[in-house]
Amino acid sequence: MSTTTETSLLAAQLPSRFSFVRSRDFPLIPLLILGIIAFVAVFADLLAPHDPQVGSLAARFHPPFWLAGGSTDYLLGTDQLGRDVLSRLIFGARVSMVVGFTAVIFAGVVGTTLGIISGYLGGWVDQVIMRVVDAWLALPALSFAIFLAAIVGPSEMNIVIILGLVFWTRYARIVRGEVLSLKEREFVRLAIVAGCSKWTIMRRHILPNVVNSAIVLASLMLGVVIIAEASLSFLGVGVPPPKPAWGVMLSDGKQGLMVGYWWLTVFPGCCIMLMVLSSNLLGDWLRVKLDPQLRQL
Amino acid sequence: MKQFIIRRLGYSLISLIVLSLTIFFFVRVTGDPATLLVEPGASEADIAAIHHQFGLDRPLVVQYLLFMANLARGDLGQSFYYQMPVSELYLSRLPNSLLLAAVAMSFSLLIGIPTGILAAVRVGSFWDSAGKLFALLGLSLPSFFVGLLMILFFSVYLGWLPSSGSGTALHLIMPAFALGWYFAAAHMRLMRSSMLEVLGSEYIKLARLKGLPQALVIGKHALKNALTPVLTLAGINLVLMINVAVIVETVFAWPGVGRLLYEGVSFRDFPVVQGVVILGGAMIVVVNLLVDILYAVIDPRIRLET
Amino acid sequence: MTASFDGGPTNPRRGRPLRATRRDVLGLAALGLAGATATPVHAAAPAGQLTIGVHISLAPTWFDPAETAGIITPFLVMYALHDAMLKPLPGQNPGPCLAESWTASPDGLTYDFVLRPGVTFHNGDPVTAEDVKFSFERYRGTEHATMKERVASVDIADPRHVRFNLKAPWPDFVTFYSSATGAGWIVPKQYVEKVGDDGFKRAPIGAGPYKFVSFTPGVELVLEAHDQYWRKTPGVKRIVMRVIPDESTRLAALKRGEVDIALSIRAELAEEVQRTPGLTLQAPVGSAPYWMYFPEQWDPKSPWHDVRVRRAAALAIDGKTINQALTLGFSHLTNSAFPENFEYYWQPPPPVYDPEQARHILAEAGFPSGFDAGSYTCDIAYANLGEAVLNNLVAVGIRARLRPLERVSFFAGFGDKKFRNIIQGASGAFGNLATRLEAFVVKGGTYAYGNYPELDELFARQATELDRAKREELLFKMQQIVHEKAIYAPIWQLAFICGVGPRVAQSSFGLIKGFVYPAPYEELTLKGA
Repeated sequence: MSTTTETSLLAAQLPSRFSFVRSRDFPLIPLLILGIIAFVAVFADLLAPHDPQVGSLAARFHPPFWLAGGSTDYLLGTDQLGRDVLSRLIFGARVSMVVGFTAVIFAGVVGTTLGIISGYLGGWVDQVIMRVVDAWLALPALSFAIFLAAIVGPSEMNIVIILGLVFWTRYARIVRGEVLSLKEREFVRLAIVAGCSKWTIMRRHILPNVVNSAIVLASLMLGVVIIAEASLSFLGVGVPPPKPAWGVMLSDGKQGLMVGYWWLTVFPGCCIMLMVLSSNLLGDWLRVKLDPQLRQL
Repeated sequence: MKQFIIRRLGYSLISLIVLSLTIFFFVRVTGDPATLLVEPGASEADIAAIHHQFGLDRPLVVQYLLFMANLARGDLGQSFYYQMPVSELYLSRLPNSLLLAAVAMSFSLLIGIPTGILAAVRVGSFWDSAGKLFALLGLSLPSFFVGLLMILFFSVYLGWLPSSGSGTALHLIMPAFALGWYFAAAHMRLMRSSMLEVLGSEYIKLARLKGLPQALVIGKHALKNALTPVLTLAGINLVLMINVAVIVETVFAWPGVGRLLYEGVSFRDFPVVQGVVILGGAMIVVVNLLVDILYAVIDPRIRLET
Repeated sequence: MTASFDGGPTNPRRGRPLRATRRDVLGLAALGLAGATATPVHAAAPAGQLTIGVHISLAPTWFDPAETAGIITPFLVMYALHDAMLKPLPGQNPGPCLAESWTASPDGLTYDFVLRPGVTFHNGDPVTAEDVKFSFERYRGTEHATMKERVASVDIADPRHVRFNLKAPWPDFVTFYSSATGAGWIVPKQYVEKVGDDGFKRAPIGAGPYKFVSFTPGVELVLEAHDQYWRKTPGVKRIVMRVIPDESTRLAALKRGEVDIALSIRAELAEEVQRTPGLTLQAPVGSAPYWMYFPEQWDPKSPWHDVRVRRAAALAIDGKTINQALTLGFSHLTNSAFPENFEYYWQPPPPVYDPEQARHILAEAGFPSGFDAGSYTCDIAYANLGEAVLNNLVAVGIRARLRPLERVSFFAGFGDKKFRNIIQGASGAFGNLATRLEAFVVKGGTYAYGNYPELDELFARQATELDRAKREELLFKMQQIVHEKAIYAPIWQLAFICGVGPRVAQSSFGLIKGFVYPAPYEELTLKGA
């Protein structure tokens, strides 16, 4: 591990601050893809040619424009209720981005906070938090998500909360591990001697040092969350219709797959794939750059 | 060492009790199973009869204590939906799940280990990128989508494989691949980093200095050491697979434990949900415990930490 | 998941004569068969294996009629394994089965049943009056309290004659005994007493057309023909019911010939069945009407208080297009909130789609530019219907948002009267018109958010009315009022679309009116068999 760490550190110390952009493993394409998705999500209202939620049953299953029977009115065709697939993809970017990011951030904030508290305070607080973490990690994530969905009812907001509640434990575990070793470091001891309160130490000294790991984990979790959202839709408890999340489109369109209406699934499937793949490649890169310790995630 | 194991065991037990509490109360706030056993508009008396039959008319605490008491005797209760002992249902599904997970794990390792090694040894080469991409693709596509595409191609279009069900080795191929592919990326990543770590170590440098051929160094010396963490993770993931296979099991009508749990949740079949989650949780806790103990045996420093 | 939602079983239609001679019965049975089996009559010995791809997980509790829940799914298995005294048969509801005839006393207090001679259970034991009494007393499924409360005693005169004594006249006794409960399904007393309830579910023995061979929970149920079945020798030797939960996978299995019948193949997948040579569609219509309900119609401040607004909503539904798009036109568009195959059903005028008129009435009611109607709550399994109807509502200016809920949450919230604005619901509950009205319209009903005193008063009167014609008049009147007040805006009675493979000669779908499964199983035949 030492050699690669050294080389990456060296790379980071090169004169130009942005030299890493030119390095051969820089994830330019993944960043571009995520950038485009974010752009589309923000400007969905301007970009989408049709209302994503309203369609006409008379215009069901139009194929994409380049196929026989397709028209340039509906560039990527229409779905089972005659809604424009392209517009749904564009608004879907927004829903998927919002759900994905908020869930990851929510899980990250809860998990990191509890991880820091658990690791730094130790004692019974640590015991309580870690036993809960162990128990929750032993719950099968998807089925747990289904209960929660059944309790709170499906809505975008609730999906975020559910995914957050299911995934926070992963942050808590890793962050706690890091805090345990940070606690023994010189600067923390000095802060204690200087009379800083526990909360100040946790906020000022511990938190900044675990943020990197949390960010790396978050970039990897983004993919997990997007796939989990799609899987919940498949099981009937995802983002509720008529909101166009990619996962919902994929699972609603899956019937069409057997029938030849491939555009209902292939397009959202590709979007999900590109987004998850990009966030994973980005995460892999960040992992090497920011935090060599996390390689084993 | 003894003390370490005892303390660890204690933690595991506490975790399982927290798990049982969580699942017991969560599943009960999800709604009334009677709603699904009668049509809307059924008489109140019918619903009350169902509540009584399942003991749902008792106070929650009493229900929980009864459940724990029975659990201690190895009795997981009677399924509401199947009207069969949960343990019997579970045991009838477990072999299928184990089989699926074992084959899926083989696929996963078959993809993950070579791509991981390539990524570590030939950094930046075409094969590194291609392998990495293939492993990551499995993580990037929802498994129901992969599964349906495979059914469409291999069953309907080519006619090579049965679309669903169980019984023969042919039935296993598609579900095992769909499940295994998702886990391949994790194994690839760990293989890569663990390989890099081993390759950077002194004895490998030494072996190289001695002029041993690259293939031998990697294939024999490095691989042996680098595999240990990957196989440990594979052990943990194997248990995880049993519990997360629900999507694949649904698509391929594979009669495993994941499907049993999912149906349990949808039918509000409380005893099934409780039983499956607790047994699954116990498996995960036990595997984690074994891994902890194993590592403590290897590295005594770990014992000092909690 | 939506196991119980594909419609209810049939219920008695018009009043059949309470007394039927044996010749009548045979004649009717023959007529029923002649109408049903257009395909060649099969050879005497059952042959071949037929596999049915089932959409829900089969539960052993369905092997025991005593545990019949208030949903239709148990009947999928019961029609094969067991037989009843009377049950819905092709062209007859109820049709005489183990009882070859029955008579009601003029005072409505006793019912005499004569058992069919020479009928045996799968183990060779004869079906006797003892078994009938035992099965009734053992019954603990849906509405068992009602049954036991009203039946004073069951007397056995001799092995072929059994008499039910009621405490008070109960005009719906035969409805409940033949189809609204499982109390009339007969199990062998000796065998059940020998093996116990659990043993019975493990190896059930009945008097139905098919014998139990093996069962693997969550996987499959294997059945074999009972050659001596009284009605006719089954045409297929072996029936396998295989659980395939995913709809697309079921279609793939049907296309590959892994299954011969695939239950529940909807929308696009059904279109694919239509397009595939060799495959055919069957679309029996069950007894679950779907409708919109307006829980705020009793709130003077709500737009829904105005009957014109509710009528406008009903006029806005483009049922024909929706039916074509979602169920290929197989569902029955209806203008009633009650099943058309129920006894005492009143036929309203057909539904009308007229968005112009809807806008016009809305304007009259004071909403020339429409209004914000809040949320449209539905069971998420039927969100596609919800989305389609909602589009229609929005088109006339009733702007609502879809709020799909998971099934349990939906019915819990519905029953707890938590929803506002618009509810899209359905019911396939057993019973007859009176029981439906009780749950959905009358004061205190589980799903009635409010009440109209005139309806409550009519309901009370019909409950004590012994004269059938007068009772019918009262129930008709009630349905008419429900229609005029537009308490519900009916949508359709859903078709249960299934795919049938090339090997099947007679799939027996739709032979029994209002029943969505391929029964009676003895009618099933394979080609060339």
